[in-house]
Amino acid sequence: MTTSTATASDSPLKPAARSRSGGGARTGHRHRTPSGLGWILPGFVFVFGLIYFSIGYSGYISLLPWDWRPPRPASVVGLDSYVRAFHSALFWTSLRHTLVFFVAAFVVQTTMGIVFAAILHSRVYASTFFKVVIFVPVVIAPAIMAPVHRRVFAVDGPINWILQHLGLLRVDATGNRIWTEWVGWLLSHVGLGSLTPNWIQPATALWVIIAVQIWSSIGMAFILFYASMGQIDPEIIQAARIDGAGNVRTLVSVVVPNLRPTILSLAILNAITALKLFDYPYLITAGGPAHSSEFLGTYIYAELFGVSQHFGYAAALSILLLFLALGVSIIMSLSARESRPGRRIAREWRA
Amino acid sequence: MFEIRGRAARIGLTLVLAVMVVPFVVPLYTMVYGSLQGRGWGNYASVIGLPGFWLYFRNSIIISVFTIAIVYFLTMTASFGFSKLRIRSKEVYFWLLMGALTMPEVVLLTPLVITVSKVGIAGTYWAVIIPIAALQIPFTVLLTRSYIDGIPDALFEAARIDGAGTWRQFWHILVPLVKPMAVAIIVLVLINAWNAYLLPVVLLGQTPGHMVVTQLPNSFKTQYTDDQTKILAGAVLAALPEIIAYVSLQRHFERGMAAGAIK
Repeated sequence: MTTSTATASDSPLKPAARSRSGGGARTGHRHRTPSGLGWILPGFVFVFGLIYFSIGYSGYISLLPWDWRPPRPASVVGLDSYVRAFHSALFWTSLRHTLVFFVAAFVVQTTMGIVFAAILHSRVYASTFFKVVIFVPVVIAPAIMAPVHRRVFAVDGPINWILQHLGLLRVDATGNRIWTEWVGWLLSHVGLGSLTPNWIQPATALWVIIAVQIWSSIGMAFILFYASMGQIDPEIIQAARIDGAGNVRTLVSVVVPNLRPTILSLAILNAITALKLFDYPYLITAGGPAHSSEFLGTYIYAELFGVSQHFGYAAALSILLLFLALGVSIIMSLSARESRPGRRIAREWRA
Repeated sequence: MFEIRGRAARIGLTLVLAVMVVPFVVPLYTMVYGSLQGRGWGNYASVIGLPGFWLYFRNSIIISVFTIAIVYFLTMTASFGFSKLRIRSKEVYFWLLMGALTMPEVVLLTPLVITVSKVGIAGTYWAVIIPIAALQIPFTVLLTRSYIDGIPDALFEAARIDGAGTWRQFWHILVPLVKPMAVAIIVLVLINAWNAYLLPVVLLGQTPGHMVVTQLPNSFKTQYTDDQTKILAGAVLAALPEIIAYVSLQRHFERGMAAGAIK
């Protein structure tokens, strides 16, 4: 086994493997190709059995009374739970937070990802060190980092420490942190007079979650943009330079248009992340205070394992979330038809 | 990308970059600095002295290893079938599989909680391994199938003419050729299994000995104590294996995670 591995990967067949010949099985030799149903069945049954069974089961539970839970006898009552969801302010609040999260995270990630990738494609010192620092947050589990972020945004935490040393905050006689005069004046004139330097409060909790999630995913955007910038033909950039374009002009007018497929992939990735979001909001703010950072994930969890367990209602919310995710994946497969990111990536790696 | 002339410009751009990465360093610095406050290294000693400290790691290792094994085996066989073998209405099976690609795990929560206790595997490793693996497979199959599509069919036909059965083609041609993609998939699944939080919390339980590594920092935050320094020391210890693995296998990690991003 080991010898065949070594020879196969070094064999002269590899360059041939690089050339595209996918789907060749359909031409000519069909009669000799053995049947493969037995090969796909184990994987298919495993996934289908679990996921589609769960969806079906969720669909059934969602038709039970909204406050149904397991030991009780089940009786189908219809779409009550869905009606309840559409009338629930909290459902729409969670959706709005998801949308805000998606837009903010997408814009910041794309911009910062491109800027980091461009800088690290230039000749800077210690580039490996910077790459590791930017990417480490992607690797560490959100659940492990959550208590650290709680600390970072604590009233006596590093964020306020930095603001204090920048002269934006001061500690008053009773030991409370308050804005310095001019910051307070500025805030009250932009309608944020009630804002205090306590970040886990209704006005700012959502933004704390967004900031933390962006922190942990810029590295991903960076790696994707870094890879696709490496694919851009250097001659195009050379041509722009000869035409007199400066660094910024080249980046905006030549490089960024070439990154469109990656930006699209990132938009889809962000939409799915926004819908799936659970670990950070649950562990940093628990969706609060006063539901100010509630997302669909934390909402469903609270309905399932909260004080009163509403399995029927949680199942209906899950089905609604499923439709949203399915919508995203349909948009994805339609747009993938143009750019085929999966195939592109697979091709790049073969090289 | 940026054209830079001279040493001064190089240093300047590096400094700009250094300022830009400050927000990335702040939480990492907070984690390490905070964990050494109060009793200093004593915080680490009391975290390690926690009864069942090693069980967090043992549970995560067992779950990751089995998840990787299941995903690897099922992905390789299914991708081989989808790409190189004859199956009636193949694309129907494929799209049914791809329908599960973007499944949020929270959707599975209600049915899983009920089913797992009915089947009687609540609190066992299987209750976590099976759903985590099932959620990975659609995507790993998508990637691996695209990859195998790029391997010429002639290779398999030649083997067939020489009398090799389908199993031999699989083991001696496919498995070795797919190795680069397999490494990326293993890293991706490893990260997803190791970082999983919601499914282990719900399906494995929150009692000592039944917790995974992602629950380690929070086990110091109970109703009665909120011991910041020990929480942070716990976070450092839980994050350490991942950081070490990433730094030593940097390239594979970046590839594997990027693979997970582009669906």
